[in-house]
Amino acid sequence: MQLFRSEEHLQRWRAPRRPSPGGEMSLETMWKLADAWYRDRLDPAWRRKSAQEAEDLFRQLGLDGEYWTFDR
Amino acid sequence: MESESFLTSVRLTVMTAARDTGQIPDADQVARLLGATTQDVTAAFRHLHDAHAAVLEPGDPTRLRMANPFSAVPTNFRVFIGQQSWWGNCIWDGLGIIAALGGTGTLATTCPDCGEPGAVHVGGHELQDGAGIAYIGVPAHKWWDDIIYT
Repeated sequence: MQLFRSEEHLQRWRAPRRPSPGGEMSLETMWKLADAWYRDRLDPAWRRKSAQEAEDLFRQLGLDGEYWTFDR
Repeated sequence: MESESFLTSVRLTVMTAARDTGQIPDADQVARLLGATTQDVTAAFRHLHDAHAAVLEPGDPTRLRMANPFSAVPTNFRVFIGQQSWWGNCIWDGLGIIAALGGTGTLATTCPDCGEPGAVHVGGHELQDGAGIAYIGVPAHKWWDDIIYT
């Protein structure tokens, strides 16, 4: 996952490389996802999120659809 | 020895060493820190890899490429907090380092399109400054097919 300066830069980079649009989000959303995902990572009680928990988090941040769904 | 408590000890030893030194320790180093055998720690590394809690170095089961969010190798995502710095595996993990280490720090990266340097500043678990669009070209159900590529 990378950070592009703008939508224009992303689309210019992506066009010759990736036929599908992929997943994109604002920097604000990216930060919220990273904070929710990793804030407790050094906690001894940390456990990996289940697929359902991860998908629920994605949806809360507006990341929905098949692209943000895990295999069961 | 793959009890849950041993796996937790290995994971926390790796994470705290990465936090404190900026380097992900190998199985020998973790074994010394825990008073365990390299063989047991190597088995724990494999377990953490299979559980998607870490990523083994390709071709070397005694080393980790990733102890998410930390990267063992230099990347395009450098995190600075105070006088210390770390490498993140991607923008998600780079910001994740800041989140895991208190919520205040700066991430430096470059735009893959134009190579222009950019910085993201976070303070008190709030985004303070920075701009851009984060992009992932792999859908969630394929992330771990080739996590180093992802």
